[in-house]
Amino acid sequence: MKLIYSHLKKFLPGLNVEPHQLRDDLTSIGHFTNYFEPLDTDFVFDLDVKVNRGDCLGYYGLSRDLSVLYQVPLQQPPLNLAPPSTEPLPIEVTAPAQVKRVMALRISNLKNSPSPDWLRSFVEAHQLNSVNTIVDLTNFAMLYWGIPNHAFDTAKSGSALIWELNTHYPEFTTLDGTTLKLKPGILMVNSPTIPLSLSFLGGQACAIDLNTTEIIIEMAVYDRTQVKSDSRFLKTITEAGIRLDKDLDPNLITQAFSHLATNIISLCGGQASSALFDYYPTPATSPSISFDPTLPSTYAGIEIPTSFATQSLLDLGCQITDNLVTPPTIRPDLNLEEDLIEEVMRFWGYNKIPTSEPISNLPLPSITPPIITLSNFLKLKMVEMGYDEVLSWPLVKTPADPPTVVSTQNSLNSDYPHLRQNLTTSILSQLDSYLRYKLPNPQFFEIGTVFNKIDNKFIESVRLAFYHHDRNQINNTLLELQKTLGLNTNIPQLSSTPNIFEIDLTALLPTLDLSLVSAPPSTLPLSQAVVELSGQIITLDANITLTEPQDTQMLLNKYVHIVDPQYLWSLSIIDQYSDPTHNVYRYTFRASYYNCTDKVAKKLHLQSFGLL
Amino acid sequence: MIDTKQIYNQFEKELDQVSSASELETLRIKYLGRQGIMGSLFLELKDLPQDQKQLLGPAVNQLKKQIEEAIGSKTFTPSTKPDTTTTKIIEGLPKYGHLHPITQTELQLNQLFSHLGFSIYNGPIIETDEFNFQRLNVPLDHPARDMQDSIYIQEPKYLLRTQTSAIEARLLAQEKPPFKVAFPGTVYRNEKVNRSNHFVFHQYQAVVVDKGITMKDLIGTIDLMFKTLYGPDVVVRYRCKYYPEVEPGLGPDMQCFQCKGKGCPLCKGAGWIEMGGAGLINPLVLKAAGIDPKIWRGFAFGMGLDRWAMANFKITDIRTLLGGNLAYKPYLK
Repeated sequence: MKLIYSHLKKFLPGLNVEPHQLRDDLTSIGHFTNYFEPLDTDFVFDLDVKVNRGDCLGYYGLSRDLSVLYQVPLQQPPLNLAPPSTEPLPIEVTAPAQVKRVMALRISNLKNSPSPDWLRSFVEAHQLNSVNTIVDLTNFAMLYWGIPNHAFDTAKSGSALIWELNTHYPEFTTLDGTTLKLKPGILMVNSPTIPLSLSFLGGQACAIDLNTTEIIIEMAVYDRTQVKSDSRFLKTITEAGIRLDKDLDPNLITQAFSHLATNIISLCGGQASSALFDYYPTPATSPSISFDPTLPSTYAGIEIPTSFATQSLLDLGCQITDNLVTPPTIRPDLNLEEDLIEEVMRFWGYNKIPTSEPISNLPLPSITPPIITLSNFLKLKMVEMGYDEVLSWPLVKTPADPPTVVSTQNSLNSDYPHLRQNLTTSILSQLDSYLRYKLPNPQFFEIGTVFNKIDNKFIESVRLAFYHHDRNQINNTLLELQKTLGLNTNIPQLSSTPNIFEIDLTALLPTLDLSLVSAPPSTLPLSQAVVELSGQIITLDANITLTEPQDTQMLLNKYVHIVDPQYLWSLSIIDQYSDPTHNVYRYTFRASYYNCTDKVAKKLHLQSFGLL
Repeated sequence: MIDTKQIYNQFEKELDQVSSASELETLRIKYLGRQGIMGSLFLELKDLPQDQKQLLGPAVNQLKKQIEEAIGSKTFTPSTKPDTTTTKIIEGLPKYGHLHPITQTELQLNQLFSHLGFSIYNGPIIETDEFNFQRLNVPLDHPARDMQDSIYIQEPKYLLRTQTSAIEARLLAQEKPPFKVAFPGTVYRNEKVNRSNHFVFHQYQAVVVDKGITMKDLIGTIDLMFKTLYGPDVVVRYRCKYYPEVEPGLGPDMQCFQCKGKGCPLCKGAGWIEMGGAGLINPLVLKAAGIDPKIWRGFAFGMGLDRWAMANFKITDIRTLLGGNLAYKPYLK
């Protein structure tokens, strides 16, 4: 939603606030404002309006909020609609469940023209195309009041409009010439013989052009779910649709429609040539909500005067009788006492609530499930044993056990339609990736959920799987895990893949003494050693020949400081040759480099080991 | 007629061609999986006359054993150079293990909330529409219900949870107040995976239900959490925000750490980054769980962890968090 400062002032003439302050205040009361930018001598703001505040998809609704916030009076634009003729319009509404209110009027003897500069500039600032004065004024009214409307060229449409659910039209051509395939049940405005308009999108058949001299203007509020459903089916999103799929106030049509008609007659001449059509079988009402004005303080945890609470609600247009508050119909989002409390709090200011008083640290009885304690304990244990943790996709290409697999129905990632049934597949996928990057000596683990469907029930269980490049180390790891967990029996192996061990932690849990695993560490092994690999790791060897024997650890420490740490992945001495007779001591280093090309790695290697 | 020799010869040929661990697993499933070749053989065997069964049974069992052993003993060399020299290593820089960036963040938060007396909780990933939406006051036509957003297992009833609030709905239904609970969790949206979007996200949520809970409790707790994660100088603002499950609703925004509030592409010019959603639990949500909102009040807040982890660990592609190119410098703690 765009908002132009000077037009906001049409509703709030007393408004006098710096743009950056307005941006922050709009955000604070719930209308997140991304940015503002200059527009000639004006400013335009870009807002995200909350999905439950359809009223704020127009200047009027936002002005109502700002009027309360800044305590400046709200002013209605002058409405000078000439008394209409008495000739009734032959309009029918045959979809009463979908149409809440329709107001319509015929205006004759018009002279349409390209829009004046101010109007063109206004609609373009809202990222709409300027078409002509009549069309732009319909958009102007939508943006001002938040209620979409439409103008039909009666030379093309006739005056007999019907609001109906589609029964037989197979397609519809939009204003820009796009053909949409229809289905029965879509809400439309038609003439007796041709489809004219969708609820949220005008049609080419009755488009307004510069030769238009007579129009019917209409403004309507519909059942929002109907509009949403039609828009979704036709895969078409419009400014009108975005508003009509929210809860709009049918009562507001009276003012908004009058403003639209007044503007058209004012800019294009002509006069009303029909009686005002107003289909409004069930006028909108608001609930009466019990409200205790001391509750905003109770909920906020700070003192908010009851006089402020009451006055804010009155300023918002609520009626208050005793402890019953009736919100205005423009605010269908206000239904609960808590809704009213939020209204008071947002105008009082969330920023007045202190940020330094967190909830008491008084512990309540623990309800932590043991599987969480076990999982977190094992993550730390595996890290302690030198394993790196990986996380992987829970979706896989191929089921490990097709009869019990759980599959997705509509995943956009359709190459991976099944939920994983074991972690071995995930570990293998990670291993393949590490091998592509030529990662030396991979050693990693994952703790995650696996899924199966057994007896028509979805079963989720938590597993641990680990890989070690050295198969002997798998057994050592296992023995250490058994010892740590106090197990006297072997842990069942669920993987038949070499170098991988997989454990069902959910199944193991009942056999464990949880006191052995429940002590949380005082310090977490936090690390910034994370690397997003962008190319293969390059491993090179170097022989260093010395005349005296060296302590290998000291040698390593020496060279680790010589090699640029930006590129060094790992360093080891893999061989040692000693010939004391001739004072020859040769050490073979193996250095791995990352995030650099072969050429850079080689140059770095030769430089670091003095081999140039 | 079952020819175990021919099957084994074929298996050996295929085994010879295996060059990666995942290919080996595919081969294992082909032969030893429940619907694999061996499974079919055993089914075939079951229907044979008793005399043939006695004759072929041991051979089929032997074949299975041979295949299992061959797969088990298949030497798979991850990389020619490093693996063949493993035994020759006489000294190397230390090899430290590392926690995943998401786990690091989760455990940090778990630790903070444990100190505040919270339990840590979890819930199912395959959820029902009732717990993922209805009990959280999400109306029928809410955008989150669109097929484009949710990954369904059995539409319309079962889906992969789209928010950790589903765990909150379980918590409210299963536990009796008062309670203070925090939970990390994966959530799933039907998004095409690319550099900046994923179908798996990580969220962290905390829920308290007790007597006399206030927005001050909530804001103070969120502020403490941000200071723990982002440092004491972090600037956070609190504003009104809409979520169906809370009323009043609250949105914490963190001042953009890149531009310090001036506006930049990262924060889309706003100078602030939206950090999640919070509020006092909507009384309708409490009622749906059988908790009397006249007695109990609660707060809830949730935040995404992925963007923070990416910024903190300088990860440029969201796929890295669940992909193959995340690694750790082995000699650094």
